[in-house]
Amino acid sequence: MGLLRVEGLFKAFAAIRAVDSVSFEVRPGEIYGLLGPNGAGKTTTISMISGLLEPDAGEVIVDGTPFGSDPQKAKRIMGVVPQELAIYEELTGRENLEFWGRMAGLSSGDAKARASEVLAALTLTERAKDAVKTYSGGMKRRINLGCALLHRPKLLLLDEPTVGIDPQARLNILEFIRGLRATGTAILYTTHYLEEAESLCRRVGIIDHGKLLAEGTLKELQERLGGDRLFVLEADLKDISPDSWAGFHQRFRVIQKTERQLVVSAIGSRDPSDCLKDLLGLPVQVENVTLKRPSLNDVFLQLTGRDLRE
Amino acid sequence: MKRIRAIGHNDLRLFLKNKSAYIWLFAVPLAFVYFMGFANRGPGDPYNRRPPVLVENHDPGFLGRIFLDELDTQGMWLLHPTNHETTARTIRIPTNFTSRVLGGEQSKVGFFQRDGSAEADAALIEVRLVRALIAMNSHLLEAATQTNAPATITEAQLRAVRLKPDPVSLQATFAGRKPVPSGFNFSLPGNLVMYLMMNLMIFGGASVAAERRNGVIRRLLVHPVTKFELILGKIYGLMLLGAVQILFFLAVGKFALGVNLGANLPAVTLTLLVLGWVGSSLGVLIGSLFAAEDRVTGTCVLTSLLMGALGGCWWPLEIAPPAFQTMALCLPTGWALKALHQLISFGSGFGAVLVPLAVLLGFGTAANLLAARYFRS
Repeated sequence: MGLLRVEGLFKAFAAIRAVDSVSFEVRPGEIYGLLGPNGAGKTTTISMISGLLEPDAGEVIVDGTPFGSDPQKAKRIMGVVPQELAIYEELTGRENLEFWGRMAGLSSGDAKARASEVLAALTLTERAKDAVKTYSGGMKRRINLGCALLHRPKLLLLDEPTVGIDPQARLNILEFIRGLRATGTAILYTTHYLEEAESLCRRVGIIDHGKLLAEGTLKELQERLGGDRLFVLEADLKDISPDSWAGFHQRFRVIQKTERQLVVSAIGSRDPSDCLKDLLGLPVQVENVTLKRPSLNDVFLQLTGRDLRE
Repeated sequence: MKRIRAIGHNDLRLFLKNKSAYIWLFAVPLAFVYFMGFANRGPGDPYNRRPPVLVENHDPGFLGRIFLDELDTQGMWLLHPTNHETTARTIRIPTNFTSRVLGGEQSKVGFFQRDGSAEADAALIEVRLVRALIAMNSHLLEAATQTNAPATITEAQLRAVRLKPDPVSLQATFAGRKPVPSGFNFSLPGNLVMYLMMNLMIFGGASVAAERRNGVIRRLLVHPVTKFELILGKIYGLMLLGAVQILFFLAVGKFALGVNLGANLPAVTLTLLVLGWVGSSLGVLIGSLFAAEDRVTGTCVLTSLLMGALGGCWWPLEIAPPAFQTMALCLPTGWALKALHQLISFGSGFGAVLVPLAVLLGFGTAANLLAARYFRS
């Protein structure tokens, strides 16, 4: 059973449906990725789950209890890492951790002890007494993350925790989050980085314009495209439509078509060499055909017709 | 309660880590206390004005010197003759003052004033001069009685008579209209009230606006902290900051500037703490109403300066037109100063400030409720 269940969550700002009937659940020991471009509704969803925004409709259930019936109980269970660096830059790393630990309900002594543990886990012990304003971007991100961990939350909400940092610092944070999953923490992870969702999350929900378009494991999402490989055909396709090719749509599903490129997946369990022969036999001057594994971007592409990186 | 304390202590730590805070908390108000106290200094406390008078003592004998002491005892502010050009009033002791008096002859002490000098001050000096002459004559009479030979009276003899307590004395106090506070008795409460309000409003407003901008308030609210606990924590932190400022200025006032806080120190402190609550709540309210930090700071500075000026922090309300005195009653600064002047300048007890305290509590409650109403994440 999910530690966090979101059912039919809906939020509108005037005429804009920021979150539109979103449902999913996050289980203990699972990282659930909410993947979508900027403005897709990820932060609004997290804001409603954490009690910052009141949903217009739908329900958030934390550890079996509706959030609205006992918000304080739900908040004691969860830790939230906001997208912005919501920490006190004038205070030291240790002072920040201790303060947020107190806010989470720890006693002064417990907050001190836990701050030392978290600093060590984040490899920040040596800089613990320095003001956060002197930290690098990656170190600030780590403290921002650590401030949500003092009370050992069973549910962790991470809103794009690696935005704006270098690749090495990002890898460190992702590794740390994998370690949290191993302790049984249920983690909701929002991101617009495909690679993070693919490498980190057991299940992914793809969100765009407030709607959850698809969800599942990476394999399940790939299967939506018809298997574990895609064919990329390069040719002059400017005035050509696949609709004019006889029987094409019975054999292939079009993922994306541009003037220079056609991305398709095979329908049914066909041999890749047969598929290649079919594609090379199309009535166009084919310049190149390549095979690739479908990514989450291809899934997003198929669902929205847009590239997630756009 | 635990979280309110933690938020307040954290805010105090943040305020005190800001080095520029010390300038506004201590240095600037202290400079203004000194400057305004010096500019508004009276030659005495409001119950015992000491208008200045220049004394030309032409007498080489000891009676001239003793007469100077007598004038000082009677409340004269004696100026050295080097101030001859600037003084408005002069007392002249003649050359043969000692010899004529000891010889049993009448000697006349002169009192002169320039045209246009303050009539009231001149009259006050004249009264005190007459009192000094009467006292001098009575001391001479007593010394002469002891020796039976007036011509042999010595300086030591006469000084010994002067030191003896008077068998009869008169105690006079003001009746009707209250005297005007002056000197540090005026400038210390005035500046403390204005800068307490200004600092708490600016620190409160700016910190709320900054924490809203960088997401700290939203982060606080995803913890098991209610909005009301958060507001009270913010106000508590500001009041701690105010308490630091109050403590500093009361200590400086008492030990460095000689302001007599008397037996009313607890009432003075209570009045200032209640005013601190008003200022803190107003700061949180303004920080909630405006988004941009510079607008918050500008509004707080303008509001506190206006409240300071109209509330009587810059000049004694007793000398302001009646309309200003009425306007001061609409402001927390006016009521705070009313209470503080009662306690510090006029020596009133706790009972005299119950009404001002009740009004300040009303201001604080209203500001607190409005801050809670408009607080946003």
